[in-house]
Formats: sequence, C-alpha cells, structure tokens
Amino acid sequence: MTNVLAINQLTYKHNLKTILNNIDLTLETGKIVGLLGENGAGKTTLIRLITGSAKGSGTIAVCGDSVAAHHKSHVSFTEQLRGFSSSTRIDWIAEFYRTVYPDFDGKRYEELITFLQIDTSLKLGALSKGMKEKVVIALTLARQAHLYLLDEPFSGIDSMSRKKIISSIIKWKPADATMVISDHYVSEIAPILDEVVIVKDQTIYAHKPSDAIREEFGIGIEAYYESLYEGGVNHD
Amino acid sequence: MKFDDKVPIYYQIKNYLYHEMMTGALKPGDKLPAVRQLAVDLTVNVNTVQRALGEMITEGILESQRGKGNFVTMDEERITQLKGKLVMEQLERFYEQLHALNLTDEQIIDSLKQYIAQRGQQDDQRLSN
Repeated sequence: MTNVLAINQLTYKHNLKTILNNIDLTLETGKIVGLLGENGAGKTTLIRLITGSAKGSGTIAVCGDSVAAHHKSHVSFTEQLRGFSSSTRIDWIAEFYRTVYPDFDGKRYEELITFLQIDTSLKLGALSKGMKEKVVIALTLARQAHLYLLDEPFSGIDSMSRKKIISSIIKWKPADATMVISDHYVSEIAPILDEVVIVKDQTIYAHKPSDAIREEFGIGIEAYYESLYEGGVNHD
Repeated sequence: MKFDDKVPIYYQIKNYLYHEMMTGALKPGDKLPAVRQLAVDLTVNVNTVQRALGEMITEGILESQRGKGNFVTMDEERITQLKGKLVMEQLERFYEQLHALNLTDEQIIDSLKQYIAQRGQQDDQRLSN
C-alpha cells in the first residue's frame, strides 16, 4: 500500500453552490502535506469529506477503503473539540478518546502531554487558543492512524506554542503515516512540508513536492503560492 | 536552524553538515544523530533529512552501517576533496557575480588582492582597539 488517500472525481455542492468541482487527489504514505488555499477555498470541506463527516459525489478511498463509514478508523482528526462543553476537563476528554478509539495509545498521549506542557486538570473553557491547539495535537497524534488531518493548527497562536507543535509533529508522526496540515499562511511550516496541495477555483490547482518548487522556480513556497493567485508563475 | 525558503531544504541540510565537518564539529568517524533527532534539531521533515543523508552516502562523505547509524567517513582524502569542492563552489558564485559587473579577470584578481589587504588592516585595527 503506497497510497494512503485516493480521491476520484469528487464534487461537493452546498446550497446549489459548487465548493469543490470534480477533483482528483492522490497522497502517498509517509508524507507531510500542506493543504493551502484562501479562507473559504474549500480546505475544511475537503477535510470533512475525507473523514466522512460530509458527503459529496465521486469516490474517496482511505487506505484503499472507499466506504466513508470506515474512514474514521484510519483517519485521526480532532474537530476543534466542538462536541465538548467548556466545563469539560482535559483528562476526561482523553478518557473519552481512550474509550472511543481502539488505536488511542495512552503512552504516546502521556509523552505528548509532557512535551507540550499541558495541565490536564484544566477545563476546556479555561484554555488559551495556543493551549487548546496543543490539546488538539496531543489527542490527534496519540492515535495510531494512517492519515492525520490538522485543520489550521497555527491560526492565531503564539510563536512558542507553534514551535512546540511543529516539533511534536516531527517527533510523533509515525514514519509510515501521512499528515495533511491545512493553512492559509505557509511560511512558518514550509520547511517541514514534503509537498503542497493548493486548493483554488473549486479545484486542486497545484500539487507539487516542496523542494521541486524551490528547484524549478527558485522561489519559496509562500512566493509560489502567492504567484498562483497573481498568475505570475507559468505552471502545468 | 534558519532556512532560506528559496533553496531546496535537502541541499541546505547537506551544506549545514558539510560545514559542521569543515569546522571540526563533526570529525572523521563521528556518528551522526539519528535521522528523526536531526529532523527535530533542524526543524525539518524526516524524509528531507533522509534524502540529504542518502546523497551524502552516495558521495562517500558518510558511511551507513546497518543497524548502527551513519558515520562521517574516515577517508581523509574524501574530506579534502569535499573542502576543495566547497571552495570551488564559493569561487564560482563570486566569479560570476563580479563578471556580471563587467570586471575582467585581472580586475577581479586586483580587487580581491586589494580587499584582502584592506581587510587585514581592518582586522588588525579591530584587534588593537
């Protein structure tokens, strides 16, 4: 198995508006992939389609399995802890994860909690944005999954939290698992990305290895991304 | 480590390790940190580190010992060759940039001599201050 994700002719419409139009996307195992695009380009929609939380037309196979209901067992994704009330303690959420996900690894979770310096006795409502994002990362990476999805993990957080989160990704992402990180601001994570996928005009506008972009065009990932919006780089 | 986003990261990792070898921070026969540790230290992707190390193994600068890790070659000849190559690369860049300013070969040599002489004086002054 070399492809962790294979999307074929996926179309998603919401209220008669086309969000994603006939997209194809294949991701190999063992990669860190940046999913880039403007706010509203459809990044979160694509993530929700992959996890099976949203349904479009076309096929999405995760680890060769195209049954949407099975995707949650291969994919680790923590949707901003929306399901929990603000009075929920972090250690209670971890217990819930342990019960619900058979692949939740308690030892990995403890290591992550220690590394990210999370006080698990705190309640969800008492957490800063950076701390909340660290909790999301710890819960997501504590699972032994094939595909990890992080939806804008760095938006609005301080630089120390950001550095800690990036280090924990490098440390704990299993070698044979793929991680997709969505963001609309790429420069801070550019050095850790194997490849970038750019969502624009309801489609996968570009999908390239990061070092190939630097080699071919002699520009950075951020500059490349911006050039696609300005129509500067002639790409195939 | 700070990377230049315009230059392939694997290339910058190689240059970083070459530099460590030239300054003696990494000596012949030294064991390199594990791949994941290097990735964490440099804040880069594990696959990119692997690519950089793979190329350095092909070049003969590093030796991979199964189950033990990667080691700097004990072959002093290789290290000398590497140093020569790094010097040539720097000279190439320097030469092309001065040529682009329409300097002739003689003018380049004269400018370099002048620069070294001035630089020597400046450094002497700095030391005596």
